[in-house]
Amino acid sequence: MSELLAKVAEILGAPETLVQRSAEARAEASGNTVEEVLQSWAGGEAIAASAPAAETSVVEEAPVEEVVVEEAPVEEVKEEVVVEEAPVETMEKVIEEESVELKKESSLIFIAGVLGVAMFTYFFAFAIPKNQSADLVAESLNNEVAVSQEVLKGAQVYNDLNCQSCHTQNVRLLIPDSQNGKILKNKFADEVIIKNTGLLRLGPDLSTSATREPTNNEKWLTRYLTDSASVRDTIPHPNYDFLSTSDLDYLLTYLLS
Amino acid sequence: MKIKLIPNNEQDLSKVFIFLLPLVVLLSASINFLKDAFRSFSNVLPGNQVLNYGFLDKLSNQISFNFLFSFILVVTVVYLLSKSLGRSIIIFPLFFLTGLGLIGIEFIDVVLAFISPEQLLDLGNTSVLLLIKILLVGAFLGLILLNFLAKKEPSIFLSSQFLLGAVVFYLISLLIYRSEYTVMSDNFFINSMYLSTHIYVGCSFVFLSIFYFLITKGMQATLFSKTLGTISFWGYLFLLPWSGFKYFYGTTLPDWIENVSIYLSLSLIIPLLALIVNYSKTIATKENKEPVFSVLISFAFVVFGLTNVLQIISSISNVTPIVSLTNFEYSVRYGYMYSLILILIPFVYHLVPKIYGREFIYGRLETFNAYLLGTSVVATLSLNTLIGINSGFSWNAGANAGNPTIYGEGFLITWSLISTPYTFILFLSLLFLLSTFLFTLSTLKAIIGGSVTESETVSEISGDNDE
Repeated sequence: MSELLAKVAEILGAPETLVQRSAEARAEASGNTVEEVLQSWAGGEAIAASAPAAETSVVEEAPVEEVVVEEAPVEEVKEEVVVEEAPVETMEKVIEEESVELKKESSLIFIAGVLGVAMFTYFFAFAIPKNQSADLVAESLNNEVAVSQEVLKGAQVYNDLNCQSCHTQNVRLLIPDSQNGKILKNKFADEVIIKNTGLLRLGPDLSTSATREPTNNEKWLTRYLTDSASVRDTIPHPNYDFLSTSDLDYLLTYLLS
Repeated sequence: MKIKLIPNNEQDLSKVFIFLLPLVVLLSASINFLKDAFRSFSNVLPGNQVLNYGFLDKLSNQISFNFLFSFILVVTVVYLLSKSLGRSIIIFPLFFLTGLGLIGIEFIDVVLAFISPEQLLDLGNTSVLLLIKILLVGAFLGLILLNFLAKKEPSIFLSSQFLLGAVVFYLISLLIYRSEYTVMSDNFFINSMYLSTHIYVGCSFVFLSIFYFLITKGMQATLFSKTLGTISFWGYLFLLPWSGFKYFYGTTLPDWIENVSIYLSLSLIIPLLALIVNYSKTIATKENKEPVFSVLISFAFVVFGLTNVLQIISSISNVTPIVSLTNFEYSVRYGYMYSLILILIPFVYHLVPKIYGREFIYGRLETFNAYLLGTSVVATLSLNTLIGINSGFSWNAGANAGNPTIYGEGFLITWSLISTPYTFILFLSLLFLLSTFLFTLSTLKAIIGGSVTESETVSEISGDNDE
């Protein structure tokens, strides 16, 4: 069998594994044995595809795991089906088609493509525009803001409590807002203050909370942060009564700054 | 049932993972429920350093989007990579250690969150372990690339294509998350790109990898068109990473990047259509007639499709100002995650007989659970969308009236519109928790007490066609 296989592979100039698989597919389609198929190829003759009905039903009745279709990858099955349904073809043509398929699906080209798209995305959607934004700010006239240590500590407490998961500090670019420009674009600020601008707005935006009633009132704010239901029970807000006095003071300083 | 603690091959490793996977899903659903409870009743429930919405939100992100995600990714890679490359995994011990390390480090992050809550970042990950995580994901990617180069199949199957894409963008997302915050726009650059690469690409690619496996092998159907599959792969790979910027419309992000995001998000219709045609034509040839199995896959597909539709809708220029910075983005984020969880369930059901050699019977419990899961997820996403649109209209009305934000009575009106949907979401979280519990029960029942059937051999797992 292996000698026959080697002989056919030599005649056709194709790898043995490819010849073996093609012969099996042809054997299944034609109802002959693999050896008979190989012998016919060695003699240069093709076998007509005509699967006997009895054999088809055996395959259908077999358990799922044992069916050839189950073990072979899906796309592979399709290739073999094509071989089954094709009219009389020469072996050379079948092997030629499979060789083309082999050339098409190169791992290296695919990997290079995926990594290429990833690198393109990283640089053009992230690294380059991010640096450009930083450069624009660096070139602006007013690029520094003085922030006291107490405010920074308060900003850290705000960040640790994850207040930014509900509150933003970033007003919208609609007609009234656009008059303010894109806020804070021209200022460098501490990392934690940047993070506190928030991503999603569930509660009210806090960018103007220090300038309006009642959130600019320290007593009201203290009570609201420690026992929110006593001030406003219609809207749920976490109680931060577990904060230390100093942390609460820092937080108030930050919110009122 | 024997589970080896130190597995020798893909089958042993899959056994361990399939046993633990439902428990991790259950943990994620529990924390999610707790988070929702503390959002709706934060002023009534007793709070402390851990039991407050702010911390639970971060913890939930870490468990769902990092720990659970990495777990599913590693499980999928272990089982599907060898199957789709047609050979056993090369350098298996190293592969095992890297995969285990990846899951382990995400779990350590969860533990660290309790020990040192301030270390946990908003969208998960702790700053101290981020570098080690990058190295591990890099090593994992390297091993996958080696396996790709050593593949025996002439074709690169869609499942493995999507897996490679998921791991590449997992690495990219971690690199992005480690970037420095220097100016205000960095907050939106870093977080929107992290959301897009880690959740939009990561979750959807692992989903699509399992999905293609299940609609062909699981349903015993023939793939309709590999070309359509390839279109959806390259389409999503190129478009999804850009789709997050539009949710930060009107922030300090450059205008051009918001506009590019809007146009590229509209283009998501192309891979979505390719996917819909491929799915509908492929399942037309299915031989597996188990209805519950099909229903679960259909629900997962519907959720994934809906999420894509939400992405497309939110890029219509009249809608974008309304949906930015609202719960609308939550629908998209959780849409990808939920579709992954939903597809995971038929995947586990399919693997129990193959890996453990135990028969899985689809009884009344599984049927009930399939519908419970599907409806609770679809309803949750719809309610989040509704909250997003309601909030968006309110914020816009306030801004047009001259207030940069709404507060006081204005916010009371907004809250009256969104508080009821939030309460419903809490109830749906409870239903989701219940269904994940039932899923765990079904799986463990089949693994421990299912009747013995023929399992796959290691060579069958690897789809070894080398005669």
